Amino acid sequence: MYRIALRAIRAHLVRFALSVLAVTLGVAFVAGTFALRTMMSSTFTGIVSSSMPGDAYVRGAEPAAGYSTTGTTGETRTTVPASLAGTIAQVTGVDRAFADISGPIVLVGADGTAVQSTRSPSFGMALHPGDSTVTLVAGRAPSGPHEIALESATLASSGLSVGDRTTAVVAGQIRDVQVTGEVSLGAPMAGATIVFLDVETASAAYAPDGMVSTITVYATDGVGEADLVAHLAPVLDQETAAGAEALTGGAMRAEARTDIEGQLGFVQTFMLAFAAISLFVGAFIISNTFSMSVRQRMREFALLRAMGASPAQVFASILIQAAVVGLAGSALGIAAGLGLVSLLRVGFETVGMDLSGSIPLDASTVVISLLIGTVVSVVAAALPARRAALTAPVEAMREATATEKSLRGRSIAGSVLVAAGAGSLVTALVAPQSHGSTTLGLGAIGLVVGVLLLAPALARHTLGVLASVFVVGVRPLGRLARGNVIRHPRRTANTAGALMIGMALVGASAVLAASATASTQSIVDDGWTSDFSVQSATGAVPIGAVADVRALSSVDSVDVLSYGPAVAAGPGETASVANAVMVVGLPADAFGRSVTIDTVGGSLDTLANGQIAVKKDTATDRGWQLGDEIIFTSRSGSTPARIGAIVDTQLIGSPIIASDELFAAVVEPAGTTVEDLLVTAAPGTDPAVLRADLVRAAAPYVVLSVLDAEDFAAALAEQVNQILVVLYALLGLSIAIAVLGIVNTLALSVIERTREIGLMRAVGLGRLQLAGIITIESVLTAMFGTIVGVALGVAVAAVMPTVFTTTGLTTLAIPWAQLAGMVALAAAVGVLAALWPASRAARLPVLDAVASD
Amino acid sequence: MTSKPSTTAQRIPTDPAAPTSVMASARGLVKTYGAGETAVRALAGIDVDFVRGELTAIMGPSGSGKSTLMHCMAGLDTVTSGTVVIDGEDVGAMNERQLTRLRRTRLGFIFQAFNLVPTLTAAENITLPLDIARRPVDRARFDAIVAAVGLTTRLAHRPGELSGGQQQRVACARALVAEPAVVFADEPTGNLDSRSATELLGFLRRSVDDLGQTVVMVTHDPRAAAYAHRVLFLADGLLVGELRNPTQASVLEVLGTLGDSHDADDDAACDSMLVTAGA
Repeated sequence: MYRIALRAIRAHLVRFALSVLAVTLGVAFVAGTFALRTMMSSTFTGIVSSSMPGDAYVRGAEPAAGYSTTGTTGETRTTVPASLAGTIAQVTGVDRAFADISGPIVLVGADGTAVQSTRSPSFGMALHPGDSTVTLVAGRAPSGPHEIALESATLASSGLSVGDRTTAVVAGQIRDVQVTGEVSLGAPMAGATIVFLDVETASAAYAPDGMVSTITVYATDGVGEADLVAHLAPVLDQETAAGAEALTGGAMRAEARTDIEGQLGFVQTFMLAFAAISLFVGAFIISNTFSMSVRQRMREFALLRAMGASPAQVFASILIQAAVVGLAGSALGIAAGLGLVSLLRVGFETVGMDLSGSIPLDASTVVISLLIGTVVSVVAAALPARRAALTAPVEAMREATATEKSLRGRSIAGSVLVAAGAGSLVTALVAPQSHGSTTLGLGAIGLVVGVLLLAPALARHTLGVLASVFVVGVRPLGRLARGNVIRHPRRTANTAGALMIGMALVGASAVLAASATASTQSIVDDGWTSDFSVQSATGAVPIGAVADVRALSSVDSVDVLSYGPAVAAGPGETASVANAVMVVGLPADAFGRSVTIDTVGGSLDTLANGQIAVKKDTATDRGWQLGDEIIFTSRSGSTPARIGAIVDTQLIGSPIIASDELFAAVVEPAGTTVEDLLVTAAPGTDPAVLRADLVRAAAPYVVLSVLDAEDFAAALAEQVNQILVVLYALLGLSIAIAVLGIVNTLALSVIERTREIGLMRAVGLGRLQLAGIITIESVLTAMFGTIVGVALGVAVAAVMPTVFTTTGLTTLAIPWAQLAGMVALAAAVGVLAALWPASRAARLPVLDAVASD
Repeated sequence: MTSKPSTTAQRIPTDPAAPTSVMASARGLVKTYGAGETAVRALAGIDVDFVRGELTAIMGPSGSGKSTLMHCMAGLDTVTSGTVVIDGEDVGAMNERQLTRLRRTRLGFIFQAFNLVPTLTAAENITLPLDIARRPVDRARFDAIVAAVGLTTRLAHRPGELSGGQQQRVACARALVAEPAVVFADEPTGNLDSRSATELLGFLRRSVDDLGQTVVMVTHDPRAAAYAHRVLFLADGLLVGELRNPTQASVLEVLGTLGDSHDADDDAACDSMLVTAGA
């Protein structure tokens, strides 16, 4: 039996080729994701090892109210005095100790723009004399506020060379600097921009209060990390009342690695979700291939059965074929995945993000990839195999065309699921407050699975309507094509179903993106009243820019919007880091001048009296009432403030809004970020003049941009579109596989219909006409999948604004033109998919077709 | 009716004043499959004419080349040498496009099995050649043919809902609806029970007698051959005999001698097998 199974694959290599390709693409995605993760992991591990070379680290003992928007800093802790380093250096077993002084910097490259590769961080750090972990490769160490040294990769990407003069924005101030040296850290830094300053300059810029986050300690020869920490602990207890703790270099690096692994893990899960979609879609192709192959080989199976093969043996022989397809596809997929990652690495390198080492291929990646590909194939082939095994020999021997099984059961199940799914969506729409997102999710799943089940029945009717254009327009080809797609509704539905899934996701993404953009637009339109906003590409506006903008004569008011974390405890709550929230600080008189915010209760006028405004959903979540007293706790003590207003706004993302005086009292300066300058024009000033002034003031800071309300909305829309492009690229693979599925089904059905095609050719059908029929079939299948998929996606996405209003998705916008474009694209894709099968069919010699048995 | 002796040893001279009623003819038709040592000569040089208003049956043992002859005559297969003329047009000189047009306008086909497009109704199958050619359907002719094959009540049915005999009658109707110059039928009764076969053959004969069609039918079945105006016998790629106004018995007799002589003396077969039978 096994020999028969393997021979059958060899005999019909072409028929299985596309199935193998489908597995290959899906597995390539999986293997590539794993390999990419391993590579990223090893790169970042390298960075951790070379940037954290200390034998021990001293840091604040307590976690602090921290909030990392980028998630790159992990846990935030209290700080320690930099001067502690001097004390520590005297401790037994300590060779050297340096306070780690670093912070954001903007470096202007040779081309006059900020040096910044992709989205990697840009920071300045103190270059301690005697720090053996950094090596001066060229030039000399910087000295004084106007000298810098650059990390090797930074130097290369900046286009500067040692000795060049340029500009840097350090601690919010523009500074002319000279590059005095090139420094190596000994490992690729994944595109981070690293600028070295001398210790005094760095301290003045990044540790004005003398506090730093960590102190790096190096042991004398022969002292182990654990021993070093044991030596440090008593000294720290003695020296710092606020509490500092020492931990081994190994422990510190492990913590950093855990942080990074966690984030990479998230990325990996995200990517694997798309790999899963691709494999799921690939399973449709495999299933279709085996259905069709089994259908054609029914007589062969009957012969085997007649000779005494058991149903189980027939079943097993088909599953073996599936396993071979799966294994072959997976093996190719692993190779393709590695190739993909190699390409990606080259791509990263060209944008200045060096990744370390060779492309990793560990045993677990290979095993998991092989297993996934094989299991998907075998599972996909199981149903057709069962059908082959259970068909009675006599029945199969008969010439009669195998009749399609009734669709009734499947259709009923599908209808029930669709009804339940639609019901859930309506429920989510009507009562979004009670578990709206769960209801929505379940509804979406029900709807998708239901439609997949219902698809064959749907195909029969929808395709008839869809095809009528062709039936009327292209006689008699349209009618013939319609007959062919409706003849095997399951097959057509499976083929289209693969496309349907991808298209549903694309459709939903398109609607969400359009809605997000429209929501942003409406939020900005409603709440934005200032003439211009000055924002930074790095997220933080340099302090120096604030003064520069204020100094402009064309400016009437400049409202600085800052944010930072604070521990806020309401009645009955304890002041702990767990209760930390983001607080936004704005001048009390900014409301009505620069921004307009709807109040649900109380008044924003109370902000001037040291009260705060709380966002409606935060108040609901924490159980806070108007008039409640909130205690803010910081290192400098605790500050009480009453809730003077409950507000409902999407314009400000943070839950608590305070006047800038209160803000300064409750948020530590180190944690403060200036996000935005809201500028209003002086009376009688032309906005164009103001804009020109602002642009001139902002230009030296390189990273600042001047936006009016329209620009701002456009910038946000641009961000949404960037995310959309990534999503489309990831979904593109599943759509490509689905298109392969169309090619596959058409090619196999051409083989299956050889005699019919011969007959039609014999009665005078031309080659082009034949190709036309197959093209129409392809277009019909592609359009069916796309229309149903897009309809599904839009239906689900249309509910989202209602469910997720509180997260800022307020307006539903359906990009009809884009959706229509997708359907048109589907038609084009259909034509493309038909090229190969159609030309294959057209080349079939008529006589072979007529004479084939 | 005159019986026209034919030999394979010498060519029939092409009659310059050949009557226009010759709808299809072949001269020196040779078809070789493969090359070198494995080459098989399916047709070894055949001259034949098919005249309007005649039902001709082609008979012969398996491998005698009768199907190949039909395929070559119908332009379905290329010839190694020789010429085929259908309705005054040289088939050998045609390109694919011209062949397609020839099949669509001048030829009708009936195969042993798989004659119909399963997704189309009987009526749609019948008009398929006209639809493909984008020619209007002659309603009167359509109705007449449908009535003649007795399918008037089955027109809306799909092939799957028709009996084997009904399916073949649909195929006949399709072959005739476009008024082709020649209808080629390859074992049209091969899959039918005797009653259905009788009906079909009766219809084919009537289409020739009443409508003046030209039908060439390859068959194994002496009973089917007996419906023809004349029977051509093939053996080893050569035309070895002809029978006019055959009966089942006379066909069997000739077939018998064919088999005997083959068994007896292969070398002599070609030369000696000149059978002339008349009315």
